[in-house]
Formats: sequence, C-alpha cells, structure tokens
Amino acid sequence: MTREITYIEAVAEALNEEMARDEDVVLFGEDVESFGGNFGETAGLYEEYGGKRVRNTPLSEIGIAGMALGAAVGGLRPVGELQFADFAATAGDEIFNQIPKQPYVSGGKLTAPLTIFAPSGAGIGAGAQHSQSVQSWLGNVPGWVVVTATTPYDAKGLFKSAIRDDNPVFFLPHKMLSETKGEVPEEEYTIPLGEASVEHAGDDVTVVATQLMFHRAREAAANLDVDVELINPRTFAPLDTDTIAASVEKTGKLVVVDETVERYGTQGHIANEVVENHFFSLDAPPKTIGVKDVPIPFSPVLEQEVLPSVERIQAGIESVL
Amino acid sequence: MADNVSVDDETATHLLRKMLRITLAEDEIKELYGDGEIPGFVHLDYGHQGSHVGMGAAMGDGDWLAVGGARLVGQYMAKGVPLTEIMAELYGKTGGSNKGTGGQMHVSDVDRKLYGHAATIGSGQNPAVGLALAEQMKGTDNVAVTTIGDGGTSRGSFHTALVFAAYWSLPVVFIIENNQWAISTPAEALPPDHLSDYGEPLHIHNESIDGSDVEEVYNTVSAAIERARNGEGPSVIESRVVRLGPHFEGDKQVYRDEAEFERLKREKDPVRKFRERLLDAGVLTEDDVDGMVAEIEAEIEEAVEFARESPEPEPSAAYENVYRLPLYGQGE
Repeated sequence: MTREITYIEAVAEALNEEMARDEDVVLFGEDVESFGGNFGETAGLYEEYGGKRVRNTPLSEIGIAGMALGAAVGGLRPVGELQFADFAATAGDEIFNQIPKQPYVSGGKLTAPLTIFAPSGAGIGAGAQHSQSVQSWLGNVPGWVVVTATTPYDAKGLFKSAIRDDNPVFFLPHKMLSETKGEVPEEEYTIPLGEASVEHAGDDVTVVATQLMFHRAREAAANLDVDVELINPRTFAPLDTDTIAASVEKTGKLVVVDETVERYGTQGHIANEVVENHFFSLDAPPKTIGVKDVPIPFSPVLEQEVLPSVERIQAGIESVL
Repeated sequence: MADNVSVDDETATHLLRKMLRITLAEDEIKELYGDGEIPGFVHLDYGHQGSHVGMGAAMGDGDWLAVGGARLVGQYMAKGVPLTEIMAELYGKTGGSNKGTGGQMHVSDVDRKLYGHAATIGSGQNPAVGLALAEQMKGTDNVAVTTIGDGGTSRGSFHTALVFAAYWSLPVVFIIENNQWAISTPAEALPPDHLSDYGEPLHIHNESIDGSDVEEVYNTVSAAIERARNGEGPSVIESRVVRLGPHFEGDKQVYRDEAEFERLKREKDPVRKFRERLLDAGVLTEDDVDGMVAEIEAEIEEAVEFARESPEPEPSAAYENVYRLPLYGQGE
C-alpha cells in the first residue's frame, strides 16, 4: 500500500520510526524540541521521546558535530541536525578533520555511526550563506558517506538507512523539495546506500542529477524529442559509478547536472569517472552543468540566473546529441 | 601514610613507577628518533609526567580519556595502552595500537577507553562531551576526562565544550595542562589569572593546582571524577606544569631564557621531586628505585624489539578502514 505524503513528512517519519526502533538513536540540534525544526522535520518527536533523546542544543555547530562524534564512539547512534548545510563550515574542524578521519586513523577499531542532517540547496531567497549545496565539500573528504534525497520515497528510505549505517553519514535533503508530494509505502522499507537508481530508462543520452536538479532535468527531457536515461545517484560518496558507466555504455552520451558550483564541483568528478575509466563508451564529450562560479545571490531574479534552469539543461542535453 | 606524603605507600610507589616509566621510555624514544628509526616527528612529555600519571591513576578502567595538548605519549601510557603497541605505532608498524595509520599524534584504543587525539589542537573536548553523554544515557557512572594545553584554550571549540557540558551538567573533567608555552607563545600573555577561570562564568567547578606535584594532581582529579560520578557535573582544572624540553624534537627553543629553564629543571621536575620526597619519607630506598628502573628498562627494551620486528603494513592497507563496507543495504 502506498499513499502520498510530502518530502518533509517523509523525513519526519524516518526519524520517528528509527527512534522507535532503536533506543540508541538520539536527536540533537538547534530548535528540534517543541519548535519542531525549521521545516517541521522534527515535529512531535520531543513530545513522543522526551528531553533525553531529543535535545535542543546551545547555538554551536561545533558542539553539535563534536558531541555527535563522541556520542557515536561511546555507543549511541546520534542524529545531529544543522539548520542549513552551509553551517557545516562553522563546524569545520569537526566536519572535515575529526569525524571522517577518526575511524581511519584508529586502524578501523573506532566506529562513528552518526548522521548529520542538514537541509541544503538554493531557491528560497535565503542568500549566500543559507543556500549552498555542499556535497562537493564533503565528497572531497574520504570517510563521509554523502547522501541526498530527490523524492519523498528517497527521503524516507535513505534517511533510515543513513541512521542505521555504521559510517558517518551526511544526509542532505533539499529545502525547495520540502512540500513536494510523492508516493511512499505504508510498510516499513529502506533504500540501499551507495547505489544509484535508474529512474527512467532511455537510449539516447544519460542524464545524472539529484534533488531539485533531477526534477528540472526530467522537465527538460520531457520538452525534447530525445530518449533520456535519467539516473539519480542518491549517494554522492562513495559514488556508484558502475550504474552510471553501464548507462553511458548504452547511450554514449553523458550530461551531469548538480547544484554545486561548477568549479571543482561534483559534476566534474562524475564526468571524470566515466572519461578516465570508460572513455571509449563516449560518442561525445560529456557536458557538466552547475551553479555558475559565484556565491548564491539573494534577489530571486539573480538566484534563478545562477541556478541551472530547465532551459540550460535542455541546451546541455542538445549539445551532446 | 608516611610524613609529607598524602597517599598510601602502595599508591605512592605506583605513581613513582609510572612516572619513571614515562621518562625512561621517552629517553629511549628521543634517541631512536634522533637515530632516524622513528619517522615523522615527536613531542615529548618532560615536565608533564606528574600531571599525566596523577590523572591516569585517578581514573577507572571504564572512564574515557580524550587526550589533548601536545604531550601525548605519557597520556597513552597513563591510560594503560601497552608500551609495545605504543612503540610500534610510533614506528608506523602493523603491531601498533592503530596498525600504523595513526602515529604518535593519534594513538587510540577504544577497548581501553582511550578515545584518541584531535591533533588539530583543541577539538577533543566536544567529543569528550559526547562520550560523557553516551555514558550517562546508558546509565553507567563512568566519566570522560579530557586534556588540553594552554594554547588550545584559545580555541572556540574548547569554550563550546564547556558550555555544552555545563548545559546538561555532564560528567566531564576538563584538565588544562598549562606548561606556559604554546610552542613559543607564553601563556602568561593570556588574560586570565588562571586558565581554569574560564569555567567561572559557566558556574563550573574550577581550580588551579601545581601539576608538577603528582599527589596534588591525583587527589584533585580523583575528587573531580567523584563529583562527576555523583551527578555533580563537570570540573575545569588547570594543572600548572613546566615544559622541560622542546615543543618537538628539533625545536631549538631560541625563545626561552636559559637560566629560567635551568631553574625550572631544578625546582619543577615532577619525577625528581617525588622521588626525593619518597626517599626522604622512607617509603622507598635507593635500592628499591634502582630495582624499579631495571624492570622498566627491560620492558622498554622488549617494546623496542617488538616495534622493530613488527611488520611494515602492506601498501594495500592504506585503502582499508576508510568505510565500513558494505554500506547499509548495499549489494543486497
């Protein structure tokens, strides 16, 4: 049985189910108690599980991320919430130097089964420090599993898997998708981490995209008389390159769209995986599309200018044909 | 208890033995590093032995230690990591505590509740708060002890950890080993009278002690741990020590006054002070101490032998333990 729920309801259901399932799951962050999170993602959890397992923290991402690391090593399965993905940088040492490296430098003896939950992406007029897509920052640090969500189905199934995974996982839902609706099973389910999903099969060109860009890419494909194979990588790191490569083997063409800035962005890495290892699958140079190399501006006109639009994606697909 | 000694004879003997063990092991490490046998770089503990041993002896096996500052090897030893494994880790060998991936700055041993070290300085305190939270939520009476140097107390992360620990009254003991030098920057240039004063506005129990006196450290840390176990929350202790060596091996210390350095060596060497106190009080004889030294030297020789014979890692080991694989649900 399925029903339609919103993306943010799917996130909230995932948290609720995992907290009910495993008493080691604890949630802490700014305004996660009765306020219910900036997007309603933690609504009702404080009332249900109490102040020991759902904790408002003082305003410090350093504290949230650092405490999550220690709590995970100490045997809990913490979910630390950052209100915006941009704030990963305010806990820079914890996010870049401590969490992803401590299990490795311990020789594998120390485990840190924590999840950082941080809404990302542009489009709501939030300005340069509340709108970034940070999967390229995180993907550059081996040790993080970097997971995103494109639909309510993904949001629930992937978040549940993120919480259960024994690695540090950075889970990045997209703010603009919060109120979008989609089918989600009534029954319990999870979605594997590290596996891309072929969302729409096609023969002419492979388009790789997630989050808001996935929806724009689907619209772009619908506007063209082209048989697009649409791939949602779901996990940015470690990346399921096999699924993407198998698709390019079939289509010979690759377009990668993502909301990271193009300079040193995820798009270049994904395209490079194919160029380096599957060059002779390609019939044309891959096309990469991302945010222009600028901070995200506030004005809605300027913001939409720098985000990949349906038209830009359409033009990108046409350029490889 | 003997006159002028605040702990029983057995504890006193244990404390001296542990301090001598750190000193003699580090004498050996210094030589091996100088000979080029140990790669990377090393920071040695001279002057901190009393603080490390007093702290270690005050802790229970179930208590976590998240180490900080730059004086590390003595802390690993004080938490009970076998010298063989520490030595092999310094060599980067597979027999090391971390199989050679950590080195001198990253020895960890979660089975012995040694969390490890945030080598960026001053980032180990928030994980210690998390470890304390985990223990509290699991209903144990274990605590988390975490150390930091005087330099690290200027990091925002240190202050955040104090705020978080105080916010939930968590069982954390913060020990600031103030050896007066953040490499070449003197702690006396920092505004507080004592670095433990940073706990004052947060209403955290705080005190400043002579960290070159192993008994004082042992007694003070024991009391702080006891308070934490009893639900009375965190403490901040400034352990005033001296750095009787360079920051790292090779540091020429051009910024230090030579006469002052010699005075500190005479007056603040924690090992010499405690040894003389125990000899004067009749707790031990010179022969007893010589016997201890001989035993320790044999242990060190064995540890070096273990490290030398331990195999180098296979190059492919560099790619292990980045992730626990498969990821959740992957490949099913």
